[in-house]
Amino acid sequence: MFTMDWRAREQNTSFLGEILVVPEKGTRLVYKHLATLYFIFVFDNSENELAMLDLIQVFVETMDRCFKNVCELDIVFNFNKMHAIVDEIIFGGQVLETSSEQVMKAVEEISRLEKSSNSISFVPKAVSGRFGR
Amino acid sequence: MALSGMRGLSVFISDVRNCQNKEQERLRVDKELGNIRTRFKNEKGLSHYEKKKYVWKILYVHMLGYDVDFGHTETVSLISAPKYPEKQVGYIVTSCLLNENHDFLRIVINTVRNDIIGRNETFQCLALTMVGNIGGKEFSESLAPDVQKLLVSSSCRPLVRKKAALCLLRLYRKNPDVVNIDGWSDRMSQLLDERDLGVLTAVMSLFVALVSNNIEAYWNCLPKCVKILERLARNQDIPPEYTYYGIPSPWLQVKTMRALQYFPTIEDPNTRRALFEVLQRILMGTDVVKNVNKNNAAHAVLFEALALVMHLDAEKEMMSQCVALLGKFIAVREPNIRYLGLYCGNCLEENMTRMLLVSDVQDIIKRHQSQIITSLKDPDISIRRRALDLLYGMCDVTNAKDIVEELLQEVICDPHKLSTISLQYLNTAEFAMREELALKAAILAEKFAPDLSWYVDVILQLIDKAGDFVSDDIWYRVVQFVTNNEDLQPYAAAKAREYLEKPALHETMVKVSAYLLGEYSHLLAQRPGCSPKEIFTIISEKLPTVTTSTIAILLSTFAKILMHNHPSDPQLQEQIWSIFRKYESYIDVEIQQRSVEYFALSRKGTALMDVLAEMPKFPERQSALIKKTEDAEVDTAEQSAIRIRSLQQTSNALVVTDQRPANGSVPVSQLALVRMPSQNMEASSTHDQATSQDQINPQDREFSHQNGSVTAVVPQEVHPADLLGDLLGPLAIEGPPAPAVPAEHKDQNLLSTPEATPDAAGPLALATVDDQPNSVQPIANIAERFNALCLKDSGVLYEDSHIQIGIKAEWRSHHGRFVLFLGNKNTSPLVSVQAVILPPTHLKMELSLVPETIPPRAQVQCPLEVVNLRASRDLAVLDLSYKFGTAVVNVKLRIPAVLNKFLQPLSISAEEFFLQWKSLSGPPLKLQEVLRGVKPLPLSELANLFTSLRMAVIPGIDTNPNNLIICATFHSESTRAMLCLVSINLCSSDIRVETDPTDRTQLRITLGSGDPILTFELKECIKEHLVSIPMQAPTPGISPIQPQSPVTPAYNDPGAMLAGLL
Repeated sequence: MFTMDWRAREQNTSFLGEILVVPEKGTRLVYKHLATLYFIFVFDNSENELAMLDLIQVFVETMDRCFKNVCELDIVFNFNKMHAIVDEIIFGGQVLETSSEQVMKAVEEISRLEKSSNSISFVPKAVSGRFGR
Repeated sequence: MALSGMRGLSVFISDVRNCQNKEQERLRVDKELGNIRTRFKNEKGLSHYEKKKYVWKILYVHMLGYDVDFGHTETVSLISAPKYPEKQVGYIVTSCLLNENHDFLRIVINTVRNDIIGRNETFQCLALTMVGNIGGKEFSESLAPDVQKLLVSSSCRPLVRKKAALCLLRLYRKNPDVVNIDGWSDRMSQLLDERDLGVLTAVMSLFVALVSNNIEAYWNCLPKCVKILERLARNQDIPPEYTYYGIPSPWLQVKTMRALQYFPTIEDPNTRRALFEVLQRILMGTDVVKNVNKNNAAHAVLFEALALVMHLDAEKEMMSQCVALLGKFIAVREPNIRYLGLYCGNCLEENMTRMLLVSDVQDIIKRHQSQIITSLKDPDISIRRRALDLLYGMCDVTNAKDIVEELLQEVICDPHKLSTISLQYLNTAEFAMREELALKAAILAEKFAPDLSWYVDVILQLIDKAGDFVSDDIWYRVVQFVTNNEDLQPYAAAKAREYLEKPALHETMVKVSAYLLGEYSHLLAQRPGCSPKEIFTIISEKLPTVTTSTIAILLSTFAKILMHNHPSDPQLQEQIWSIFRKYESYIDVEIQQRSVEYFALSRKGTALMDVLAEMPKFPERQSALIKKTEDAEVDTAEQSAIRIRSLQQTSNALVVTDQRPANGSVPVSQLALVRMPSQNMEASSTHDQATSQDQINPQDREFSHQNGSVTAVVPQEVHPADLLGDLLGPLAIEGPPAPAVPAEHKDQNLLSTPEATPDAAGPLALATVDDQPNSVQPIANIAERFNALCLKDSGVLYEDSHIQIGIKAEWRSHHGRFVLFLGNKNTSPLVSVQAVILPPTHLKMELSLVPETIPPRAQVQCPLEVVNLRASRDLAVLDLSYKFGTAVVNVKLRIPAVLNKFLQPLSISAEEFFLQWKSLSGPPLKLQEVLRGVKPLPLSELANLFTSLRMAVIPGIDTNPNNLIICATFHSESTRAMLCLVSINLCSSDIRVETDPTDRTQLRITLGSGDPILTFELKECIKEHLVSIPMQAPTPGISPIQPQSPVTPAYNDPGAMLAGLL
């Protein structure tokens, strides 16, 4: 949901202010624009608008920690990492974690795991053949 | 941080980014996809690393918006990889590419399960995340128990448990049965004691979902929620990483307060006190600060606290505090907070209406009127829209003029102002916004017009200056209004004449002006510049510049001018005729037809007078405008506390508007044969053929040949729901455009029994016309209205020609709250209005003060509180009287605070049902009766009847499909006290209705409850609804004639009755 809407909205660049809240038939849309990045959250009326704005901030702060001054290139080239981060913050459309320290801990753990198994090198072909189709 | 070793992926991304245009990008993507496809196809021994790389590429291409129709197998198979990186890719990409219905997911369900029950926590997390994002019903069935185990396990890390909580939420949504209510309320209560805030946040989301579907089961969790709030907001007892800009986890605070809003009330005084203490602290302790993020967080909590306070019907002092806070927000500069301030203002106002604090709140909100109006000019459209809503809500007789004029200004100047900035802003949202402004201005102008001419001024100004944003309904409405108010007609015509002088006129303005002048210009004949000839000249000047639909109206106007042309002016007649002749060959058929018909008619002399007589009054009915705003407000989001509240609030306009056309009494004047400028050209074409023949040969218009069959042309009321019919309805007497099919159907009915038709219909029609009362008569049958309201919670209780009384009710255990909507239908006030409630002994009722005077066309709302003391079928009566002119009207109306309203459907399991059933041992707790003369209803409708009686029909308990098992709880003050040993405020009653399949008019009913009185009363209550009440004919005066008539049903329809006259 998140990534999809991101894509759809990217073409529409005529946003007015820095922060806006746009409601539409029970669906609300909160977005935040920071330097070259736009963050858009779409949610229904079971959430609080300002709290969603805070969540965007947590998301930004987390990425900032991850990438040291995040910019759009970090996101484009590390979109797979972005998925991991989003998965630690939002889960099935619900807020999973709101502490950016906790999110960082989880993300670092994932990075560690990725690295350690990479150094082990590739998986034997025999194993992969089993799941070939 | 670069991607770990996947150079190929980075290169691909750079390549795509370097593409100059979309075409190049597509080529590059296609090349890559081709490559991946071959690799997947040919090299069976692809390594996991390579697979991983390609799958990421596929995801990237997918995110760019291209369709990728292969690679799903490879993606899904990565889930089964033994190493973390591959597994991670498999899970993440599967979540993104597939949805819950995808067949491939079945393949991995076992792997996913193994990961969830396995020891590797990182694998558990991945699996839970995927299931939480795309898990469907099958996942729900096979994984729910394992996920539950993880959630409650003490050995799992919080990281896993919080994911398990949200994963379970997803599974629960897919299949609510996975959470067994019985065990879960205790378990939930324990989970809410959680110390880890991450887990607690996730658990709270789960809790909100559970409680929104079944409040009753989770009462025990309420104190826990309050404890959490105390812990966060008062004790600030949380680890530092959960403090967000100095505020203890705002999300959890917000979520917890959301959860609390699902509970209708808090009864335990200690809990209530504790909660209000916390809320008080939040309300007092929040200030606008410089840091944007801190500000947002603090206000997120504050707004939620406000919402909760409003929900809980707090003490007046606290309410005033809330209102004061809102006033502050509306004035604040920070746009988000102003937005929410305006939004909350709206909710608050509506809520306050519910709580009888109307005047206080309105005063305070009104004090901020100028600030709200300023917000109407805000550059941000969302704020403008909220401001509009609030202004619309707060508008009343005192401030209507200011507000409407302000709205008018907005509609008018906005486009101009914006076009100078940039055309880009004039997008659909802007357009819609201005349309809404126009619409709401029109509604408010009508609702609160201090005098009628002001209303006409406003609307004409609106059409003139902002015609693009004025929908057709708005001008239809002003025409209706003018037609129905004779005093207004010369004024409106004169105004229309003035507008026609203007050089560049909006086409809608041409339509209204032409229409009004066609009808009423003869009233102005004495004034300078208003002779038929001058009127004709100025209107015909517009003819070359307008579109077809307007030409149609102009032609009718000319025909009307011609009719009023006496003493005859041959020159004018010739001019008009020449126009008719010119348009006889116009490209549009409707225009051709009109020209031909008007021309032919105008040569008939006196026949023209009959045909083109002045329009009769429109029946009073719902303003299509109000309906339109209501339609726009329909909410699509899922169940939420706020939505439930908002549903309770939209009632305002609803009831006033549900006015039916006067009961069958169509004024005779409508029989005049009038052609009307119809916009609905296609729809009317077949009938028009018939009608055109009629008009040309009026002497034999009784029957005309159409499609080879003989058809009587039946005048008929146009369906009230038809928007166009609203305006055009009564005109098209000889051939209604809207319900063509039913009309024909009835015709055949009539023809099939020709001997009955004229005789039966003659006296009939006379009876109804005579019946048209001078004294006040109720419209429609009061008893029927009452019966309908016993089964539903809103509707019209009573209506006569002066007043309409609508009610809307809400029920909450043994409490009920009605709102009576007293609507004055007239253009002069109703005075000496008195309403007294006469409650039976078993109900405590309190009616708020009814104002003595109801202003013209206004509606007042009077809340009525009901408390049920014990089971009884006695009824409350509302004694209402008012004075209109010299007539004093007094009616006594039964209030539908009936026994079944205090029931609540309860769904129980078979075991429990039989346990309860057996424990009730015969009379007087359990009663049985065989009912005869039951309304023959199919089983499904019988079930529906019980559902509308607020009882739950439980399938599957009795194996015989002809038996119904029904279950509900009854709430009253006394039974609650009596049964307090068993359960606190409930009294179970089980009913079995067994039907004999061969005889639908007979059934046996057995029912039981813990209270003999209740058992008896409930049985009688159900009996009343099951045994057919003699259906009263809608027009009782006619009933003696009906038996002779073989076509009785048709006479319910005013159209059919009129048939007899022709």
